[in-house]
Amino acid sequence: MRVGTVVRGILLGLGAFAFLFPFYYMVIGSLQREPDQTVAGAFPHPANLTFANYATINDRVNLLGSMANSGIFAGAVIVGTVVFGALAGYALAILAWRGRGAVFALALLVQVVPFQLLMVPLYVMIARNYGLADNYLGIILPFVINSTAVIIFRQYFLQLPRAIFEAARIDGASEWQVLTRVALPLIRPALVTVVLITFIGPWNEFLWPFLVTKRADMQPLAVSLANYISNVANSTANPFGALLAGAVVLAAPVVVLFIAFQRYFVASDLSTGVKE
Amino acid sequence: MHGAWKVLAASMGLGLVLSGCSGGGSPAPANSALTAHGPINIWYSNNEQEVAWGKAMVEAWNSAHPDEKIDGQEIPAGKTSEEVIGAAITAGTAPCLVFNTAPSAVGQFQRQGGLVNLSSFPDGASYIEARTAAAADQYKAEDGGYYQLPWKSNPVMIFYNKDLFAKAGLDPDKPNLSTFDDFLAAARKIKSSGAAKYAIYPAPTSEFFQTQFDFMPLYAAESGGKQIVQDGKATFNDASGLAVANFWKTIYSEGLAGKETVQGDAFATKISAMAIVGPWAIASYKGKVNWGAVPVPTSAGKPADQIYTFSDAKNVGLFTACKNQGTAWDVLKFATSTDQDGKLLSTTGQMPMRQDLQKAYPDFFAKNTAYKQFGDQAARTVEVPGGPHTVEVLQTLRDAYTKAVISGEGDLQQALNDAASKVDNILAG
Amino acid sequence: MTSAVAPAATTGTRPVSEHQRHRRRQGVLGWLFSAPYLVYVAVIFAYPLGFAIYMSLYDYFFTAPGVNVVRPFLGVRNYTRALTDPAVQRAFLNVGEFLLINVPLTVVLSLVLATLLNQVVHARAFLRVSYYLPYLTASVAVVGVWLFLFSGSGLVNQLLGPLAPNPSWLVNERLAMPSIALFVTWKQLGFYILLYLAALQNVGKELYEAAATDGATWWQSFWNVTVPGVRSATVLVLLLSTIVGANLFTEPYLLTGGGGPNGASASPVLVMYQQGIEQGKPGYAAAIGVLLVAFTLIIAWLQNRFGSERG
Repeated sequence: MRVGTVVRGILLGLGAFAFLFPFYYMVIGSLQREPDQTVAGAFPHPANLTFANYATINDRVNLLGSMANSGIFAGAVIVGTVVFGALAGYALAILAWRGRGAVFALALLVQVVPFQLLMVPLYVMIARNYGLADNYLGIILPFVINSTAVIIFRQYFLQLPRAIFEAARIDGASEWQVLTRVALPLIRPALVTVVLITFIGPWNEFLWPFLVTKRADMQPLAVSLANYISNVANSTANPFGALLAGAVVLAAPVVVLFIAFQRYFVASDLSTGVKE
Repeated sequence: MHGAWKVLAASMGLGLVLSGCSGGGSPAPANSALTAHGPINIWYSNNEQEVAWGKAMVEAWNSAHPDEKIDGQEIPAGKTSEEVIGAAITAGTAPCLVFNTAPSAVGQFQRQGGLVNLSSFPDGASYIEARTAAAADQYKAEDGGYYQLPWKSNPVMIFYNKDLFAKAGLDPDKPNLSTFDDFLAAARKIKSSGAAKYAIYPAPTSEFFQTQFDFMPLYAAESGGKQIVQDGKATFNDASGLAVANFWKTIYSEGLAGKETVQGDAFATKISAMAIVGPWAIASYKGKVNWGAVPVPTSAGKPADQIYTFSDAKNVGLFTACKNQGTAWDVLKFATSTDQDGKLLSTTGQMPMRQDLQKAYPDFFAKNTAYKQFGDQAARTVEVPGGPHTVEVLQTLRDAYTKAVISGEGDLQQALNDAASKVDNILAG
Repeated sequence: MTSAVAPAATTGTRPVSEHQRHRRRQGVLGWLFSAPYLVYVAVIFAYPLGFAIYMSLYDYFFTAPGVNVVRPFLGVRNYTRALTDPAVQRAFLNVGEFLLINVPLTVVLSLVLATLLNQVVHARAFLRVSYYLPYLTASVAVVGVWLFLFSGSGLVNQLLGPLAPNPSWLVNERLAMPSIALFVTWKQLGFYILLYLAALQNVGKELYEAAATDGATWWQSFWNVTVPGVRSATVLVLLLSTIVGANLFTEPYLLTGGGGPNGASASPVLVMYQQGIEQGKPGYAAAIGVLLVAFTLIIAWLQNRFGSERG
């Protein structure tokens, strides 16, 4: 087993390097005064280091304001998805009812259809029919229940042993109690997974909020930064550095949140709590 | 999963029913909108210089017209702005004026019913023609109306880096770049001397609009001012087009230009010693590049005062969604007045499309001699073809160009002929 | 995706009538619990999708409200045109190539890495964070880094030296699509590792212990315990990576500058975008989109059958 541990360590280390390196490169690049594409450029050079790329962003973008907008957008989507997505996922996995297969297929179809196919009709509907341009609701609505999350919820509910539901029902628990007291606590790792993937989507989403908002004070961070990159990129000393700095600013809050919550991601061994 | 597949079929059926209700909507704004006055909203480009101009213009108007205030907002430059405008037209949420309307998109906006024909204002056509004179002709729609006000151009020229030219042993003050052969000789020298990695670096990517910054300027010059389409027929497969395509093909096959996407600006970062661009870029070269500019090359080396080039114009559209079109038209005239055009020129360095530009602003051109040649060149610019198929035409040419010129595959004349017949088909509808 | 949830090992003691009542109650609750999601889909999704299908049958274009224009009915002509359009055919072949590389690579790598990650004791947090980073970061940002790394004179080619491909990765007609497939695998892998990690928690420890007492090697216990234990997660990973791959857009749009070189990396969604949004032919673009949806659903259905049969 000793050799195995070493091999495992090496494999994981290589993997971590492959995944971390571009990110590291992004940070280094964002701190460079002049872009340096050589191998040496992958290492920090004191003479070529600067925070200027970040300072310019801070000057041109209202970071706090757009971060708050992003927070509202992502927060509403998380709440919507966790509440309604879990309900739907539970119904699809645990309850026996006609139409279940159809609803599941619908959740699949929603994901299969490319956004570019729906974009203009959706915009017309939100902006004209519902009058929600430059409105938080207009930004949030198309994302409010993440269909991938519905499918993931269903998946994890399906993995739970059937017997515990029967047991709870025989004990007289209502379906709502079974869901909230039995099922949800058991899928806690999946719950955190869902929160993460639902958070990433709206946080990084650019196209839709960009279409719906014109007022700068309504725009989420991804849109503000994209605007910044598209016009400032050509008029700063180091356009590439400006782009990377924008990317770091967008990614940083996610990474911080993720590190703060990562220990909840994989909760302790599930099977110990469940007798099969 | 049987029910699953049934529902797919059913939801498609549902869609058809729903979409049946989609017609109708509110009636088109009556002609009374043309004379209505009141507050309006406008969009302008979000680059630093244009924002400064836009804000000052709005403030100047608002302080004089408290009952007809402008609400100004930024939209990003670049093609995403066309998508936003297109969607806004469809939803009826377009602003009154967009000071960043690309001529290549105007045909589609017009077909969508999104643009007001400026000729429907009593002084519409006369105002445009008085300001821009004969050059306004290229912006006239097929029905004879003006759906855009020709606003400012960025006549494309060859920028060169004087320091790198000196390093390569070329004359930094009067470089000999007027014929294709001279240009190639200089480019080879830049590369062989190691002064820069590439001689020039037009974007080698497949987006339709890139055609405007390699093929089109040289074709305009070589052909003496022809558009790539005339009278519903492609022209770019003629002798001039072949000469231009051959010139670029040589550049690429000898590695004088890069074939990869470059991050940022190759000229500003000294990866290339030349650039093919308009005067808007000068602001971004400030303090970085000791630059000079010459007209684009031709096979025979025509004199500078006969060289045409691509305009890279941005225009102003007045949108049908606007309720107070009377005010919008007044603002449009105010924003393109001699006074405001002068401010635009001095804040952004872009060329207002007026006749006798240099006579109108003698002080500016006397003080900023570097801009003089752009002022000269602004008198001879060629626009993209009008109509709803502009983007399709440009994309067709671009696809042929990336394959035959940049990658150097197949026979050049054949590729141009094929693209031309495709374009003819597109235009024939 | 088993076709129906077998009623749990059951009911011998309970009278039939109660069982029926129980089922009926579940029927009502099923609709009730799904109702918010169904309303969401109906309100947000049904109309645009129906509209897109409607458009695909017409020579459609978008107009300002109240503008009346003639939009000739074309029937299936948009579809026949799309099916015979070399650019569309090429895009579908490209995305097929993409899926052939991306999907197996995604499934294998994410399962192996998740399994290793699940067993590791030290530096767990660090490893997890680093594996998820690409997934957490916006595409626009990481595309910039990849362009930097994989350009002709970029870091990767400098390290490869004489082995570097010419033309370089992203401008090489043969390598552009594999490069994109690799990029997307790398970018999305964290998400699938996440799914597998959560699934791995449900594989009973005692199974591994039993395998260990039988003297199974790591590989044997991986193949005989882990792989069957997470089979339903594998079906999900297959499905989701296929869907994400079929909708490929950002990468050919940004990484290879609009599907270059010479259309070698154009995807169906990119062609849709060019035709529908840039060139103002949404009817034709919608037909391509509907064909793409059909194409994806067929693949998903095949995967589903294959996945179910094996079990």
